[in-house]
Amino acid sequence: MKQGFRQQLKTLALIATIALVAAACGGDSDSGSTDSASADGVSGSVFVSGSSTVEPISVRVAELYEDVNSNVSVDVEGPGTGDGFQKFCAGETDISDASRQIKDAEAEDCAANGIEYTEIKVGIDGIAVMTNNANPVDCVTFDQLFNLIGVNGEGKDTWAAADSSLPDAPLDIFGPGAESGTFDSFIEIVIEDLAEEAGVEHTVRTDYNPSAEDNLILQGIQSSDTSLGWVGYAFAANADVKLLEVDGGDGCIAPNEETIASNEYPIARDLFIYVNTGNAAENPALQAYVDFYVGEGLDVAVGEVGYVPLSDAAKDEVRAGWNS
Amino acid sequence: MADISIPSTSAGAVGRDPLTVDALAGPRKRARKESFIKGIFFIAASVSIIISILIVASLVREAWTFATGVEWAKTWGQNGWFPRQGVYDMPTLLVSSLIVTVVAMLVAGPLGLGSAIYLSEYASKKTRSLLKPVLEVLAGVPSVVLGFFALFFISPQVIERIGRNGWLVIGALIFVAYIALVIGWARNLVQREAGTSIGTQVKRILILTALVATALILLWWINSVAGSADPAADNFFTVKRSGQLAAAAVGVGILTIPLVASVAEDALASVPKELRDASAGLGARKMTTTIQVVLPAAVSGIVAAFIIGISRALGETMVVFMAGGAADAARFTSSPFEGGLTMTAGMASLATGTDNVVGEGLTFQSLYFVGFVLFVLTLTLNIVAGRFVNRVREKY
Amino acid sequence: MAVSTLGSSSDVTKRVEQEIFRQGSDLKGSGFRAALLATLGISVLILVVLLGQVIVDGWPVLTTNFGDFWSGTLRSRSSDSKLGISQGLVGSFWIAITVAVLAFPIGIAAAIYLEEYAPQNLMTRVIDISIRNLAGVPSVVYGLLGLFLFVKLANNGQSSLYAGGITLAILVLPIIVITSAEAIRAVPSSLRQGAYGVGATKWDVIRTQVLPFAAPGILTGTLLSLSRAVGEAAPLILVGAITGRLAPRDGSFLDLGQFGDRFTAMPIVIVGWVQESGRDAGFAAAAGAAIVVLLALVIAMNSVAVMLRNYFENKRG
Repeated sequence: MKQGFRQQLKTLALIATIALVAAACGGDSDSGSTDSASADGVSGSVFVSGSSTVEPISVRVAELYEDVNSNVSVDVEGPGTGDGFQKFCAGETDISDASRQIKDAEAEDCAANGIEYTEIKVGIDGIAVMTNNANPVDCVTFDQLFNLIGVNGEGKDTWAAADSSLPDAPLDIFGPGAESGTFDSFIEIVIEDLAEEAGVEHTVRTDYNPSAEDNLILQGIQSSDTSLGWVGYAFAANADVKLLEVDGGDGCIAPNEETIASNEYPIARDLFIYVNTGNAAENPALQAYVDFYVGEGLDVAVGEVGYVPLSDAAKDEVRAGWNS
Repeated sequence: MADISIPSTSAGAVGRDPLTVDALAGPRKRARKESFIKGIFFIAASVSIIISILIVASLVREAWTFATGVEWAKTWGQNGWFPRQGVYDMPTLLVSSLIVTVVAMLVAGPLGLGSAIYLSEYASKKTRSLLKPVLEVLAGVPSVVLGFFALFFISPQVIERIGRNGWLVIGALIFVAYIALVIGWARNLVQREAGTSIGTQVKRILILTALVATALILLWWINSVAGSADPAADNFFTVKRSGQLAAAAVGVGILTIPLVASVAEDALASVPKELRDASAGLGARKMTTTIQVVLPAAVSGIVAAFIIGISRALGETMVVFMAGGAADAARFTSSPFEGGLTMTAGMASLATGTDNVVGEGLTFQSLYFVGFVLFVLTLTLNIVAGRFVNRVREKY
Repeated sequence: MAVSTLGSSSDVTKRVEQEIFRQGSDLKGSGFRAALLATLGISVLILVVLLGQVIVDGWPVLTTNFGDFWSGTLRSRSSDSKLGISQGLVGSFWIAITVAVLAFPIGIAAAIYLEEYAPQNLMTRVIDISIRNLAGVPSVVYGLLGLFLFVKLANNGQSSLYAGGITLAILVLPIIVITSAEAIRAVPSSLRQGAYGVGATKWDVIRTQVLPFAAPGILTGTLLSLSRAVGEAAPLILVGAITGRLAPRDGSFLDLGQFGDRFTAMPIVIVGWVQESGRDAGFAAAAGAAIVVLLALVIAMNSVAVMLRNYFENKRG
């Protein structure tokens, strides 16, 4: 019996060894592929959290930078701008992605914890308001959008019921879920002031179709002739939907790269990263990553992941700001 | 201590002590080592108590913060579950959980029970050794795999392909089958009326009332699902490719089949062979024996199998998270053909991608509140199931 | 009384005769049998379709750049040649090791205590009840515990590989205790008594008689629980496994420093890619390929476990 037990232990040990060896082999090929030596010998790690809208830019920049210097490891997560600042001001992250500027309360939080930071503008995200190609409506005002999508629109299932100046047609609304930066921005830019005036909650009606996936929002828009929805400009630009012109007080403006970059189109927001300057001074890896971010990152990554890049003048300004 | 004297015939043994019980116990060192080892094993065993306490403590602590801090109006009668906006409508999660559990059990109940009966009553040893591993492999499939399958196969190829009218017909058929079963059972009761105590009769009437109520709810539900779909729209499924509760529920059901089958099979196996032999001796056919003798004898265990299945389906997370068709917020829905979040999926999607859920105020605590509700529900189900299992054990 | 017995027994005779003379044409019975077999057949069919779907989806990725896929990392686009599962494998490997190191000894020791030492008292009952109830707690609730204990309290809100590993070790502990206890219970008491008879202590008996006899059963249970831990995703999502970007780490697969680091695991990689597939459809195929690898691992572990069990069951008759 005892012999049998020993035998089984040996078998177990053998299995474990095989697993270890197999694992080690996998590891070898892994480390082999990341051996490209760095130009400047910088190594270390960087942790980025914050906006899920900016997350793809930071990830893409990290991937591009990895090709240049694989000794700097950059981890990125995207719980949301607000969650990101909470962690950033607690000193848990090096960079906070943000789809809006830092709020006063958050800045105070950072100051209380002795976190110093610098703000870097990295790109512009236009929000497209869309409908089906079959819909005759061409332009909407902020007031109309507030009536259609704000909390006062709750339960109203035609355009006319929500706003009497609009045609009497069924209203199906599709948009990003509350976890999304696009959701926050839409509320901030379009809804907030009007909701304040009307004395209602600063949010959207709950009876719309929220979706985490932009494709699903586009499909929803296509599924109904008089649908309405909003999504990041880049995702809607090439899709088979009708982009509505928006009147933010200065007449109807159609969304395109120029009007967004020039801030003529009213529903656009700047995208930022906030860098912990204390950490940057101590951590050459963070310094190097941000250097790369404001360089090739702004030139290549922002456009690649579908946002509107800064104008050349704006880029120069950002670079000058960071380098000082 | 009584001395046990040993015969002193061994002449050479000089100065040998008489053998005592103390001496039999061996050296003190040996006893100390024994109790030390026992102590280590005891500590290992108590780890489970510590874990239980920690689970309850962490759930209660944060759930209490939530319950005392939240505006209760935000947890009931709202339009949906929007935790990051501070709207925590529990009915949204509870109704979705109910839908998923019911649909999952419609899949797992018959398939699991049927498999168990076949394996236990009909299969030859050879067929058994061929078919049993299938269930074992199925039991080992990780739930993310079922989530993938539900999203990319069940949703487009089964749920959407059968389509709106198909599902309404299937729903009606299930309803009719359910009514037929209840009527059959009631008739059976009336026939065997004589000799039952009033207590049993009251119990039966209560059960019957519950069954009829369930039937009415089912009818109302099918009607409301049929009514809520826009008949003008040819597309029953407003949002495509991200799945819907029904697809997720079928996936959950598939995951639950092996569990129901294995508990039910245990129950059937514990029915003594004598009962089957006696029935066969009376000339009953295999089917008659199975339905009228073996199943009634194992009924407690089969009920336990269903309850354990329900508990498992209620606690399944990843399938609904991946194929349930909703992100981290969901509108209230009572239709299985729309996207929704169950309690488990609601927690998972809120926590995805970060180790530090913050959100608005009580968002983090809402995770624990939902977890606490889920914990209490599954614990109750498991305790009830345990009672039923013990009933079978005591009987035979 | 006598009259009614007579009546019913003649009924029975009649029934028996009827049944006997209808022999050979039991359509209802065969139909019933076929229906039961069909329920099993559906399970087989589901399994076949599931495997087929996953393999069809994942095969192109696995065959065209298998080596890259094996050594690649999380990437933002599915067409990236560096996309792969190495980080998921590392995470799952270390989680499995953590489970083996923590849950196996504690679980087996607890089972030994319950079966060999535990007196019939309140404490034993409490332990027993808590283990049985823990086995039925949904996995996501263990995630809540892990998030609270190992992320919020112990690590200042930062997730780490050990948080995931310990959480899963806790998750499978009750399974190990229950299966090991069953294996120990099956040890014939004659073995124990024989050993006591020649003067062995309790620990000697356990070490030399009980454990060797129960070893196959225990091994089966531990292997099954290990495969469960490797396939589990929900608790890891709660403790904050990374689905975004996890940079490739320098150093080897076996570097212990990874324990305090952010992590991902095979099931999490799959979940992340399935979500990404909404934006970039190519990720669905990548997820399929990752599932093929995960399923191969899990099914291999399960099969070894089941084969071990069958082998020893046959050997002992």
